[in-house]
Amino acid sequence: MHTDFLLEVFRANPDKPAVVWRDKPYSYQWLLETTAAAEAALVAQGVPRGAVVSIEADFSPTSVAMLLALIERSCVAVPLTDTVREKKKEFREIGEIETIVTIDANDQWHFEHTGVQAKHAHFATLRERNHPGLILYSSGSTGASKAALHDLSFLLDKFKVQRQSKCTLTFLLFDHIGGINTLLYTLSNAGCVVTVEDRSAESVCRAIDRHKVEILPTSPTFLNLLLLSEAYKRHDLSSLELVTYGTEVMPESTLKRFCALFPNIRTQQTYGLSEVGILRSKSKSSDSLWVKVGGEDYQTRIADGMLEIKAKSAMLGYLNAPSPFTADGWFITGDAVEVDGEYIRILGRKSELINVGGAKVFPAEVENVLQQMDGVEDVAVTGERNAITGHMIKARVKLTTSETLPEFRKRMNEFCKDRLERFKIPQKVELVEESMHGSRFKKMRREGPAA
Amino acid sequence: MDPRVNDIVVRCMCDMGERYGLDLGGGPMRETLLFGESGLLDSVGLVSLIVAVEQEIENDLGVSIVLADERAMSQKHSPFRSIGALADYAASLVSAEQ
Repeated sequence: MHTDFLLEVFRANPDKPAVVWRDKPYSYQWLLETTAAAEAALVAQGVPRGAVVSIEADFSPTSVAMLLALIERSCVAVPLTDTVREKKKEFREIGEIETIVTIDANDQWHFEHTGVQAKHAHFATLRERNHPGLILYSSGSTGASKAALHDLSFLLDKFKVQRQSKCTLTFLLFDHIGGINTLLYTLSNAGCVVTVEDRSAESVCRAIDRHKVEILPTSPTFLNLLLLSEAYKRHDLSSLELVTYGTEVMPESTLKRFCALFPNIRTQQTYGLSEVGILRSKSKSSDSLWVKVGGEDYQTRIADGMLEIKAKSAMLGYLNAPSPFTADGWFITGDAVEVDGEYIRILGRKSELINVGGAKVFPAEVENVLQQMDGVEDVAVTGERNAITGHMIKARVKLTTSETLPEFRKRMNEFCKDRLERFKIPQKVELVEESMHGSRFKKMRREGPAA
Repeated sequence: MDPRVNDIVVRCMCDMGERYGLDLGGGPMRETLLFGESGLLDSVGLVSLIVAVEQEIENDLGVSIVLADERAMSQKHSPFRSIGALADYAASLVSAEQ
């Protein structure tokens, strides 16, 4: 019922590769059969329609089949990847998980019933509608994790329009709105989903080369690492047509360098949130950070310098937090933007704005300049309390040089002099050894272990 | 008072002078005014100087101090009015830590 439109596409393309896992292709015929087997397994295991089921896996042929089976049976699917292993217990509790399906290293499923009964009012709404659901957890990079519950049948609607069939690498994770979006887009157009076991620049470039990947949806942090590692010199990336980037602010310097190096690859900024899904977007040009977002299912407006979105398919709500929607149904994104006609430019999270003696500074703006300095591998800018100006700018910098702190500070001050207003030049600098991104390839500005 | 603290403050102020093109006359002296009436620095400049002094003290002397906090702000005479005042205040915090 819910997946009929997908199964039709699968039936029309039985021999085409649907998923590449560990370099081996699995056809649409295989996916059809395994999805049916997964449904039968759910029935045999006594998982009722409408059950809340976590699917603990990364992208693999079987995890994709199991996800489709859960959707077909109007279950609430809760994808959880290994990157959240420290929070899994908490996430299962918040999600009121009734059954855990684990996909092991050999791509086999295992069932475990928790004895929990999911009673949240949002689940009851879904069961009344006989609609499948999806729970996505916010990464918690800017605070406590929140569980967003979607009515998946609304999210699926936008994939019923046929678009181009492409070979796409699932860089964004199985439990991320961007990863789910990539998967559904690719399958609904009989494209090929190429999975990677690790997301290092080397592995990703190798997979692009080997499987002639055409689309890479990724993050600005990854593009920066790709440039630094020069992995693109060791592999042929000429099959790549489109690189999409989202999840965080793109440093202008990274985008310009990428576009100069790869003039034949189109780049496009995407904009999406766990709470509202992925909006359709159009960059002003490949090397521009100005973007038009919206699409038929979304309305946007700017209030108080922040982007607000009204979505046809917004989530039902959080399971563990009050509704973030305004009374008339708009979602306050928390993203501060600049506006130029129809285009917007994302400046950063309003919550990350640093107030230095009354002057406002976005971390991304400072990071963008520091990243252009020779020898700077990675940088994260935050505000630190200061008794004189309220807050000051602090930069944590990972260097490839052997400079001492005073030497680097002097060079940084010189470099920034004509590029940043004086109050934006970091007053405090810390040299660090470790990287400042988590396993989701998104900058972690908060200090502490990366998620 | 530890003379090395005075040297660090003077050195950091030399850097600030170079960076902002400040007129330090014959070089920074204890009497050189930093912040307040006739002071050479604005608030952002002062924060930069203070953080540089804190970090260099930690680096050279292995002592971690916080110069800009409520205690400093509530002193009868601002420890940030001149190089001498800042050096004396920093030295008093260093000796209290040692």
